[in-house]
Amino acid sequence: MRLRIYRYDPDSDRGPHMQDYTVEPEADDRKLLDLLVRIKSFDDSLSFRRSCREGICGSDGMNINGRNGLACLTSINGLAEPVTLRPLPGLPVIRDLIVDMTQFFAHYKAIKPYLIEKAPPPDRERHQSPEEREKLDGLYECILCACCSTFCPSFWWNPDKFLGPAALLQAYRFIADSRDGATAERLDYLDDVYRLFRCRSIMNCTEVCPKGLSPSHAIEQIRQALLARSL
Amino acid sequence: MRVFSGQVPWLLQRLTALFLIAALLVICVVIFLGLLPDYSSWKAFAKSGHGATIIFVSYLAICTHAWIGARDVLLDYVKPISLRLTLLVAISLLLTATAIRLLLILGAQLPV
Amino acid sequence: MHRSATNHPRFLNLLQMRHPVGAIVSIGHRVSGLLLIAALPALVAGLEWSLRSEADYRQLSEMLLGPWARGVFVLLIWALAHHVAAGVRHLLMDAGVGSRLPQARASARLAIVFALLCALAAAIGSLS
Repeated sequence: MRLRIYRYDPDSDRGPHMQDYTVEPEADDRKLLDLLVRIKSFDDSLSFRRSCREGICGSDGMNINGRNGLACLTSINGLAEPVTLRPLPGLPVIRDLIVDMTQFFAHYKAIKPYLIEKAPPPDRERHQSPEEREKLDGLYECILCACCSTFCPSFWWNPDKFLGPAALLQAYRFIADSRDGATAERLDYLDDVYRLFRCRSIMNCTEVCPKGLSPSHAIEQIRQALLARSL
Repeated sequence: MRVFSGQVPWLLQRLTALFLIAALLVICVVIFLGLLPDYSSWKAFAKSGHGATIIFVSYLAICTHAWIGARDVLLDYVKPISLRLTLLVAISLLLTATAIRLLLILGAQLPV
Repeated sequence: MHRSATNHPRFLNLLQMRHPVGAIVSIGHRVSGLLLIAALPALVAGLEWSLRSEADYRQLSEMLLGPWARGVFVLLIWALAHHVAAGVRHLLMDAGVGSRLPQARASARLAIVFALLCALAAAIGSLS
């Protein structure tokens, strides 16, 4: 199989360029990550992040044939050749397919991704009914791989001010959580022309989420929550 | 300015859109059913109080909707605040000028 | 030329990405909106002309069907049709209708095709 991979070495004078590779998949190779690991065996200089190899750690997000995805969940079968790999769009490239995720995680931190309680802690458990727990489905599964935010045009134009689909989905995960007591403050924070309202429902996020989540739907829910409390 | 922060323009954009869709449907009906087929019928409509009002209110809706849309584009692409403010003011003046012009045109039609 | 820590490249070449249909209809919505704003002064001027006199009204209708004006007319019809179709799609999605991915893709395609058909109709209509 033929691949064209984005190469960039910050220590060399050469700018970013594409490099061609040819790899023969073995019988057991199923996913793009398998091919990348095979390339590593004869070209050790190729750098990319990877860990769990099963789509749960979110490390190996990259732009595959023009769309974002996880290398470990992308099947070799049916991949158009040459398989063109580039780093996640918009974020500074550290090396080859490795990008600087600082801005992405800063937005995540800004939405306070932890339960905030006003009431004193209960004697025993914090109760949550099955119906209340169901509200978190489609939100808690996010692995923070950044495929969505780095495919969002609004995030490309304002990565510092627009929170992006991932952070917004996580913000809604806590707004929807019955155990959290800071809903009003969370909504206040989001009600801003840049933080939330740069979203135009382009829906690129939902198109590329490797976990099948819908950040655009979560953002819609936040807007409705904002509207409901101001009317 | 709190009023321009997030929700207010977003909602106003939707409300003016709904109004304009209705207006567009009416215009399509008028054109395709030939309800104002020539100069004299069109002139009579614009001369009437309610006709002129409808035209002007619709144009105000267009200006509001357009202003909010233009502001969104500027917020996305123009980073330096002073440049963004300048362009926003320029667009506001342009839209206001066309609205005043329309007001004068329609005012000139009305019987004294 | 060694790159410092603050001078990293970024991959942002839009031509090298495979854009989903939702992104296409969205950029069309934006471009058509800007075209329509640019046409507003002409709209008001045209309105003024159409009310000035019978002769001016007729001259305006004839001018709108002139060779170069025809192209502009077709473009503006496309812009209006696309902006309205994409706008209606947005309004429905805001209300929760068709916001799931398969439906969103279908409505995006519908909006694009509808606008192109309107432009085609305008082109054919202005030729006759």
